[in-house]
Amino acid sequence: MKQVIVHPERCVGCMQCMAACATAHSRSGKLFTATLEKPVPRPRIHVGAGRYGEGFPNRCRHCDPAPCMLACLPGAISRLPETSTVHIDPDLCINCASCAMTCPFGVIRYHEDADAPPDKVVAVKCDNCHDRQLEGKLPACVEVCKSGALTFEEPDAAMKRKTDAVACSMSQETAVTVLSPGFTLLNTIKQAQTAMAARK
Amino acid sequence: MNREYEKRTITEDGQLMLKKAEQDQIVTVWDRYQEQQPQCGYCEMGLSCRICNMGPCRIDPFGEGPQQGVCGADADIIVARNLGRMIASGAASHSDHGRDLVEVLAKVAEGNAPGYVITDVEKLNRVAAEYGVAVEGKSPTEVAGALADAMFEDFGSRKAALTMTARAPEKRREIWKKLNIMPRGIDRETAEMMHRTHMGVDNGWQSLLLQALRNALSDGWGGSLIATEVSDILFGTPQPRPNTVNVGVIKEDQVNILVHGHNPVVSEMILRACQSPELQRLAEEKGAKGINLAGLCCTGNELLMRHGVPMAGNHLMTELVIATGAVEMILADYQCIMPSLGTVAACYHTKMVSTSDKARFPGMEHREFHPDNAEILAKDLVREAVENFGKRGRVYIPVESVPAMGGFSVEAILGALGGSVDPLLDAIKAGKIRGAAGIVGCNNPRIKHDYGHVTLTRRLIENDILVVDTGCAAVASAKAGFKVAEAARWAGPGLREVCEALQIPPVLHMGSCVDNVRILVLAGALADALGTDISDLPIAGAAPEWYSEKAVAIGAYFVASGVYTVLGPMPPITGSMNVVNLLTRGLEDVVGATFAVEPDPEKAAILMRNHIEQKREALGLSAAKPLRGPSAG
Amino acid sequence: MKYVIIGNGVAGIHGAEAIRYLDPDGDITMIADEAFPPYCRPMISLVLEGSAAPENLPIRNESFYDDLGINPLLGRRATGIDVDNRQVFVPDAGGTETAVPFDRLLIAAGADPRPIKADGLDLKHIFFMRTEQHIRGMLDALPSVRHALVLGGGLVGFKAAYGLLHRGVRVTMLIRSGYPLSMQADETAGRMVQDELVRKGLDVRVGLQAVAFEGNGTVQKARLSDGTVMDCDMVVIGKGVLPALDFLPREKIEVDLGIVVNEHMETSASGIYAAGDAAEFIDIARQTRWVNAIWPEAVHQGRIAGMSMAGRPVAYPGSLSRNVIRIFDMDVMTGGVFDPAGDPAFTVIWDKNDRRNTYRKLVFRGQRLVGMVMVNDIEQGGLLLSMIQRGKPVKVPPEDLLQPSFNVARLVA
Repeated sequence: MKQVIVHPERCVGCMQCMAACATAHSRSGKLFTATLEKPVPRPRIHVGAGRYGEGFPNRCRHCDPAPCMLACLPGAISRLPETSTVHIDPDLCINCASCAMTCPFGVIRYHEDADAPPDKVVAVKCDNCHDRQLEGKLPACVEVCKSGALTFEEPDAAMKRKTDAVACSMSQETAVTVLSPGFTLLNTIKQAQTAMAARK
Repeated sequence: MNREYEKRTITEDGQLMLKKAEQDQIVTVWDRYQEQQPQCGYCEMGLSCRICNMGPCRIDPFGEGPQQGVCGADADIIVARNLGRMIASGAASHSDHGRDLVEVLAKVAEGNAPGYVITDVEKLNRVAAEYGVAVEGKSPTEVAGALADAMFEDFGSRKAALTMTARAPEKRREIWKKLNIMPRGIDRETAEMMHRTHMGVDNGWQSLLLQALRNALSDGWGGSLIATEVSDILFGTPQPRPNTVNVGVIKEDQVNILVHGHNPVVSEMILRACQSPELQRLAEEKGAKGINLAGLCCTGNELLMRHGVPMAGNHLMTELVIATGAVEMILADYQCIMPSLGTVAACYHTKMVSTSDKARFPGMEHREFHPDNAEILAKDLVREAVENFGKRGRVYIPVESVPAMGGFSVEAILGALGGSVDPLLDAIKAGKIRGAAGIVGCNNPRIKHDYGHVTLTRRLIENDILVVDTGCAAVASAKAGFKVAEAARWAGPGLREVCEALQIPPVLHMGSCVDNVRILVLAGALADALGTDISDLPIAGAAPEWYSEKAVAIGAYFVASGVYTVLGPMPPITGSMNVVNLLTRGLEDVVGATFAVEPDPEKAAILMRNHIEQKREALGLSAAKPLRGPSAG
Repeated sequence: MKYVIIGNGVAGIHGAEAIRYLDPDGDITMIADEAFPPYCRPMISLVLEGSAAPENLPIRNESFYDDLGINPLLGRRATGIDVDNRQVFVPDAGGTETAVPFDRLLIAAGADPRPIKADGLDLKHIFFMRTEQHIRGMLDALPSVRHALVLGGGLVGFKAAYGLLHRGVRVTMLIRSGYPLSMQADETAGRMVQDELVRKGLDVRVGLQAVAFEGNGTVQKARLSDGTVMDCDMVVIGKGVLPALDFLPREKIEVDLGIVVNEHMETSASGIYAAGDAAEFIDIARQTRWVNAIWPEAVHQGRIAGMSMAGRPVAYPGSLSRNVIRIFDMDVMTGGVFDPAGDPAFTVIWDKNDRRNTYRKLVFRGQRLVGMVMVNDIEQGGLLLSMIQRGKPVKVPPEDLLQPSFNVARLVA
């Protein structure tokens, strides 16, 4: 089954996935009108900053077994088999934050949502764009990512590419030294700045 | 307990004020910087383009996604266009500031600027002569009128070269002519830069960058230079005088008024109003011991240079000084004034006033200054500030101010040297002074506040390199105590000997950020005295904490004038390694100087020392072997 | 194979499900004193508060026992275990006892509210708050209640107070220690909670206990340890819980505070397992035996016990005390050793930000994170708790973990 695969080394931190995610989970489905909706749609993917300010797209891993599912008091979290999605039922959710205690990735947020009953704060996280997938569409975050940090593919295929890349890097003839010298340069500068700030 | 303050600034007053600001629930520039993390990588690399409405577009730096914008522009073109537009904006800012001064000069000539006078007639005549304005038998106002007209011409389209490019060494002008980057009109070069970067005009990344250099030169040898020279004519050419710096300049028992921004046109009038006996009396009636005017950023530097007015802080201190609760009024003109200031001031009694017709800010009362109303308006505002004194809440001024020395215009330096650059050149030739470095530019929350400026300055003077500085950098080193004659003890033995003989600090405050041209003019004078080009001199420049578009223009005019310039933060160009390589290597063969980027001031110092020693060697002077940096990171 | 499970709480249910998953044919008998379908005990306070209805409580539907082929013996509390002869005693309606034989036994009997000593406890409108039955009683009493007295500032007392405040009842809370939630949070967080509750109308009195209750059939007054008398028409006793152990043969099964188990949740008597609020195993953060009577551990332990009983001995890494509490607009999450009280073996770092109204405290033993307190901005709390659970040395600068922007990417070098 195809899954969203995150390649953090390619994240440039533009946050377009966040805007696309929020839009995809709005009532209108359009960016400009979505910003005017109540509740304002919010992203389920969170581009956080790494140790030197580099981007990191953080989203639900849809773990199996999923600790949030086991911890959920009202049994609101279940797995949708078609897309292997760990899904929170907003009608059952009691906003107790028990799932926040168990999620080792910190991807669950608590707010009102277009899919939840009006004025009810519920736990919200990535739903794998389950409905879009059933319509044959790509998950919204993958669709807008232009740097290849988010892909939608068979995990085995992604794994093989990584393995191949590691294998290639073992030999001087086949090694691709740096994917993007400019991006590497930028990150080197950021690392230096971070190290300086920590100096006494 | 909280290491976060130490990570944000090296300054004691900054750390203490950060704590106070947090207690007062003030959101600062550092908080907002954190909120912005991670910043968009496309934009950081210069790979996003918002120039036209077929876009916006971005280029995938990893090569798999889009490699061209909708129009077909590739990474090189997009990066070059974006950089060109940054320089256009920076040049426009300085040059528009310069134009405002020429307008005041013209109004003074017309007699429509009550309160403004020609203070330095000698300089008026000297500059007029450069512009071919006859001075014999004319009154200063007549000369001023003719000079203003001539200067306005520099802003236009009718010239082959800006008048004051004649101050550059002959060899340098030849290079500009050969490259076809001789700046012709101040506004023209900016307009052409904007034109060329319109979709479908200049799509040669090299030619775009050359125009960017010409645009920058129109600032350095045009707009900024006019700003500085006319400011000197109107308000006096700076001479060395003592001042004090840091938050401690704010006085608990006085009415405190701060001027913030860049243009001396407003701040000079405020200074005069503060000195009026009538308002001083009013202050005493209100229970204050007097009226204390202090500066922030570059308009503060303008007053500091000419009058020894105390300096409360540089760019990143501007929010924090308000948290003292002791500031009755801040008057802001333009540039580098954070739009957050009004919100911060709303937590205290501080009145915020915007003064320029071209700059408005949320939470500020707009009271527009013009040459004809400035004198009266200044008094009105100072009176309002005095009346605000009684509304103070609790006051927190946690440090004592630090003494410093400012006012080192080119004229003042020559004066200190006995009228010629020869004693300085002799010291350089003898190796007592290895060379000179200009440290300029802003603050930027990317770099621990003042760490870049202070560390770099310390390392350079330790190694017998005379430092001149301006703008926020100058405030940083003054706060660190480098700007008193006794600071010579931190200098290497050669520099120390020279400083002690001349009774000058090892770090010379040359003014505001438009005053970077003073450094250019000094460099030109040194080159002329040696009969060489600026690029042959054992000098280097650095902008360790730059943030603004103006700084990009400054860096570009320094490099185009032959000065090797080390930037702290990386400009948004890494999306094109062609552009990076041209700016950091290729320009050597074109203009005899390059940029370097090194955020770590320890390493930047080594780059600059190596460059200086290399230039010494080429001049046949004693030279040290190149140093290796501290372990690379 | 005959399996017997004592208790139909969450540990018992997960135990039964794990057994059935691995052993489709074994006989499973569940003995429980609560006759309701399996329900979510932590949610009863939401019913009191009014944010959940009683019908939202069940976590399995009515057909749970049928679906899993379980023989339920409900409404009956086990009275004894014959370890040698492999049987559990259950009282019949007529006062006699039935012996239920087992090959594998899971004790998931949970815990009972800790009783208090005071006169007049037999008056009406004096409640524990542990079971759905208790809540139903409280809800029935609610219309006539004006002023409730809550005994104890622990989690239960605090939830009772919160729920009653929500219902518009005036609440006075008596706490013996200096601040509420002293077992769940450190003093700073406890005081933040108290301030928030007081802002919302709670009356908190410290250093006091109730010694007697008076009333005419129904409670009307409470006499306090300082001699004062207070009017009240409802009393909620929230003094914590004790493992339900009265039916255990202590000479055959090792009991400390709870039932001592090994990493497969097996007790000292082979074939007899324990899980949930009654079980005692190593606490990861404290590195000593501990009873962590919390929902997620009960789930985990029930699963481990069930799988081990069905022949797949899975190991349990140890428990971790943790809690998350939402009070009006304030969130508090805590875990592990959050208050080492000056013990030099621990390093404590913290940050309190008044502008963001957040508090974050971390406790390290050497390089290992062993405890945390968070007030507000709790989204990354699970990340910190999982770091405590993993017990690996923290390689990044510890103060980075205090940053509001801390996230999983900061742990990746």
